[in-house]
Amino acid sequence: MGVEKLKYKDKLKNKNEDIYILALESSCDETAAAVNKNGLEVMANVVSSQVEIHKKFGGVVPEIASRKHLELLLPVIDQALAEAGIKFEDLDAVAATSGPGLVGGLLVTLTAAKTISLALNIPLIGVNHIAGHIYANFIANPEIKKPLLCLTISGGHTDLLYFEDLRGYQILGRTIDDAAGEAFDKISRFLGLGYPGGPAIEKAAQTGNEEAIDFPRADLGKSYNFSFSGLKTSVMNYVNNEKQRGNEINTSDLAASFQKAVVDSLASNLLQAVEEYKVESVVLSGGVAANQRLRSYLEEKLEKYNLKLYYPPLELCTDNAAMIGAVAYYQYLERDFAPLSISADPSLKL
Amino acid sequence: MLTLAIDSSTDNLGLALMESGQLRGEFNLSLKRQHSEKLLPLMEEIFELLEIEAKDLDGAAVATGPGSFTGLRIGITTAKMLGRIFAIPVKGIPTLEIMAAGAAGAYRLALLDARRERVYYAFYQQPEADSDDFIKEIYPPAAVRIAELPEVLNDYSQKQITIIGEKKLEVGKVLKASNFSIKYGEPESDLPRAAVLARLGENYLKRGQKDDIYQLKPAYLKKPQAEINWQQKYGSN
Ligand SMILES: [Zn+2]
Repeated sequence: MGVEKLKYKDKLKNKNEDIYILALESSCDETAAAVNKNGLEVMANVVSSQVEIHKKFGGVVPEIASRKHLELLLPVIDQALAEAGIKFEDLDAVAATSGPGLVGGLLVTLTAAKTISLALNIPLIGVNHIAGHIYANFIANPEIKKPLLCLTISGGHTDLLYFEDLRGYQILGRTIDDAAGEAFDKISRFLGLGYPGGPAIEKAAQTGNEEAIDFPRADLGKSYNFSFSGLKTSVMNYVNNEKQRGNEINTSDLAASFQKAVVDSLASNLLQAVEEYKVESVVLSGGVAANQRLRSYLEEKLEKYNLKLYYPPLELCTDNAAMIGAVAYYQYLERDFAPLSISADPSLKL
Repeated sequence: MLTLAIDSSTDNLGLALMESGQLRGEFNLSLKRQHSEKLLPLMEEIFELLEIEAKDLDGAAVATGPGSFTGLRIGITTAKMLGRIFAIPVKGIPTLEIMAAGAAGAYRLALLDARRERVYYAFYQQPEADSDDFIKEIYPPAAVRIAELPEVLNDYSQKQITIIGEKKLEVGKVLKASNFSIKYGEPESDLPRAAVLARLGENYLKRGQKDDIYQLKPAYLKKPQAEINWQQKYGSN
């Protein structure tokens, strides 16, 4: 769709005007709607969780989640508009998560956003869910100084990003094999510690000695990329060798040593970037950001640079639409709009 | 009265605009799994071509299935949002009813493939001459094994039945073997047509028969597989 077809182009606002965005999110098992004013000001943030519904199945069932999203769509939108004291006509844009996530669920709010865009003749903004989790930090801590570095680490991602300001980011490095959370999950399963792996390994590591076993740290030279598959292999080799020799394995020591190796790998790239990019703040995002060992180690190292480490508060770690609305505002300023033909991308990358 | 019809329940993506009994325009495109990418751009297109704006709509009709779950949710979400934004009435209409209303014959059997030797079926009758209805329902939409259809339709074995939709030849063979008198519908009546949906929708809405957009949902006619598995393991609830 060419720009000439953008019928709303005459009514687009600039940074010095108030911009109201309705944001929608349904990528997993929360149906959410929010109204954001000028990005970080959250006027309403409604989340309807389906956690209880999926509990008996031991995980999110995509078809059940999609059915529930359709039922909850209008109620969450109504509540968000009512709480914000805003009408459809007051909106400057509408945003929805376009991925990653469960495609059937994503399509509910993405289709709703498309319809709102066409009906009200306002821009449609497709937002990356992972970017949303990063921007949750900026909502929670509006004092965060720019430029900044962000390490986004989860079961699907390990990305090191540089933000000059909030209008966009540069990817400095990403994992070339497993994501950090994936490495935790695989080793946890291998050691029989359960799922999700991150908290399980962290718990087992608490009573262990992290110097006990010297696992290798991936050296990818000057690049900011990450790699965890070598570490995973050496943990498995270690366990198999010890078993063959008839030695008992100290799971706590093993978990602590493995965790330290992951923390070191993440920290070394981050600190290298801190040296090079002269940033004002460092931000963590994603499920693995909850790891206390990682936080304490980074805080200790960043003290020398007089840098504060930020991570999102627990209430903004769950999926919500306010974080989607925050990203959408900066996309609006960049006129980064989606055509009505946009579809959901279950494996969308940053 | 301007009524928009939306159908994304089957491979056919349908859009039509009906203005007080007059068809303004219609799209019927066999697009398979592209409904998410195509529905809203096509709607924008049909509005532009006909010089209509979304806010001019007085009502919307949407196909409720059976059909692809994801496809159904795309159409129903769109209809719900239009209903909510412009405070216009919305009517959900079973896909099999749209198909039957678009066919000819005194008795009409509409079919959609339910896989594994099963079909979704619904059975209709031509309404009386003085009726305002376009079609009269005998058996509402349900799933059935193809082999069981002669028994289901037993009361009508002496009537001539017009069969339309998916699996019509297979079903026709089974009915013929049980001495039913059957006829096959024309190929253009094998898919739900948007113009027919618009006509039905306008007719229902004119009579004040609308749906609550907060309750409107697809006629799934099938529980999610995970729910079926769970019930087999632990009993109901
Ligand atoms: Zn999330």
